[in-house]
Amino acid sequence: MNQQRRILLAKTGLDGHWRGPSVVAKALRDGGFEVIMIGMTTVDEIVQAALDEDVDLVGLSIGGHIEVAERAVLALREAGIDRPVFAGGVVPPWARKRLEAQGVEVYPPGSQLPDIVAAARRLTGLSVAQ
Amino acid sequence: MRQFDQQRWLRKKWETLSEIPLRAHYGPEDIPAEHLARLGSPPGQGPFLRGAYPQGFRSKPWRIFQLSGFGKPEDENERIKFLLAHGETGFLMEHDRNTADHLFNVDHPEVQARSEDVGLTGAVMQSVRDIAICLDGIPIESTYGHAGGAVVQHAPFALAGYWTVAKRRGLDLARLAGTGQSDYFLTYLGCVTKQQVPTRAGLRLNVDIMEFCNRHLPRWVPISIAGYNGADTGLNAYQELGSVFANAVEYLDEVKRRGSMDMEAAAKAVGGMNFRCCMDIFEEASKLRAARAMWHQLLEERYGIHNEKVMNLRIHVVTAGSSMAYQQPLNNIARGTLMGLAAVLGGAQSLGVSGYDEALSVPSEHAHQMSVRIQQILQNETNVCGVVDPLGGSYYVESLTADLISKGWEFFEEIQKRGGFLECLDSGWLHAKAHENQNADMDAQASGERTIVGVTDFVEDHAPFEVDGFMGVGDAYEVACDRLQELRRTRDGKAVGVALKQVNAACRGEENVMPAMMAALEADVSLGEIGDVFREVFGDWDTPITA
Repeated sequence: MNQQRRILLAKTGLDGHWRGPSVVAKALRDGGFEVIMIGMTTVDEIVQAALDEDVDLVGLSIGGHIEVAERAVLALREAGIDRPVFAGGVVPPWARKRLEAQGVEVYPPGSQLPDIVAAARRLTGLSVAQ
Repeated sequence: MRQFDQQRWLRKKWETLSEIPLRAHYGPEDIPAEHLARLGSPPGQGPFLRGAYPQGFRSKPWRIFQLSGFGKPEDENERIKFLLAHGETGFLMEHDRNTADHLFNVDHPEVQARSEDVGLTGAVMQSVRDIAICLDGIPIESTYGHAGGAVVQHAPFALAGYWTVAKRRGLDLARLAGTGQSDYFLTYLGCVTKQQVPTRAGLRLNVDIMEFCNRHLPRWVPISIAGYNGADTGLNAYQELGSVFANAVEYLDEVKRRGSMDMEAAAKAVGGMNFRCCMDIFEEASKLRAARAMWHQLLEERYGIHNEKVMNLRIHVVTAGSSMAYQQPLNNIARGTLMGLAAVLGGAQSLGVSGYDEALSVPSEHAHQMSVRIQQILQNETNVCGVVDPLGGSYYVESLTADLISKGWEFFEEIQKRGGFLECLDSGWLHAKAHENQNADMDAQASGERTIVGVTDFVEDHAPFEVDGFMGVGDAYEVACDRLQELRRTRDGKAVGVALKQVNAACRGEENVMPAMMAALEADVSLGEIGDVFREVFGDWDTPITA
């Protein structure tokens, strides 16, 4: 189980704010993960990329509304992808609860990078302590 | 969980947020001689270090100017009226970013794939009819308006739409005051957008807007360089200064090359800019003072302009959205107040205070009202409006201002060496600079070097005060789909075809695109159709980063 873990990072919305995903991507790469960033993509493209890249974890950068993210999670499951999903971005508490009910871990603004990297380790079956 | 720690406090490295080292106190020896010369002029006189106007806020308090919009045009109209009723003194229209930033109609596959997001960040306005609904009952002849069009390629449509509504109301465009933004920092740096015109095509569109306003709307601020979006992406205070002025010279050099507009008029057209104020109060106030002096110097030295009437930089400030915390959100009321104070101490002409629920959602009605109230409290209860440039002469602030000016010019020169502002957007060099700072900021938070209350320290598992944030937009997408169909059904198809041909020809040729754009809006041409022309003629920008 020492193979490098692969994480897909995608943006669900048509809004290219990149500051959040870019710091997360760097922290994950520094933490030993391979990160595949696909930017602004539709649900179908996210599913396709998760299949093509055979990733261990899917990260969604969500700007505001969460319905598209909810659809992305459902579509991943329908495509037989059972990999965990985590999400970050401007997600109000009521929306966070809805995503968590779908099994998505949510990292809102203010989340610290070491916590996100630790979550990625845990979610991909690595021991949390590096 | 971190709490106050005396040892950590004593080890603290005292420096500004731009990492300018701080001493425990400052004296007269800290003010460089060349800076003393700047300090010698009173407010309202070049180099305007001490303020744009002699009487400062006594003659005119800063404009209370909040971004607003979501949902259907009716929803945005209602929110604008709400804010004006509570004392906002100008209004800013937000257009739905899914459609506006990309020049897509709602039936574009990229928008349909995310239909739930439509209307979240601004009202959907696909034609002049929608803009008219958004402006219904708002006296734009007497209220300073921001027409939207923050994004370069969207500005021609948004401005032409607003002006067409004004013309239909019988208003004289020559007397209409307002602004758009039409700026690079948002979609070429802050939230990188794939489907938009290349930077050089954007320059052409913006200088066309400047020329058009010069001829027909002399009271309109045609473009407003928005350092805010660079700063909130990660550029520090002096990088914001350097990049803003590097952007300005792209416009002024292009005007000079074309020779189609008086340089003094061009200087005035570019001289309304937008900066960010974040939590480092003295650095941010110093930055605004520095900006005025730098603008004056640039116009004089690079363009030989000496007419002081066009050399006083007017500044709009938006308080840093990224400084607003998700955790314990009511703390953000204090943050908004302090960042707003920095803007006022720096002598801003207008101000938007980000909502206390900024990190959760677009502003709820209550958060929006609070942003107005914060500004009214500053204006009316604190006496900060009584004296111009109250920090002027402080050894610390003058030293810091002088530092920011020299570091700002260094950054400006670095951009010039790398081919200029547009080249630094195309190459991703500015993105890399912002990214360095983003990472340094996160590292400083994680290591304990930087404290953010309620976020890195003084954390509570159960927030003592929760807020809901904005709850959603309802039927914006469905209504926009219906209206698009209705538009297509009820407009004069032949006139639309003619108007689009004219826009196409103008884009391909060298003539100013704005007259054709005005005719297109008048003929009910839709947003997406303008986008189709731009995509066909100009192509898409080759983004330097994945976004």
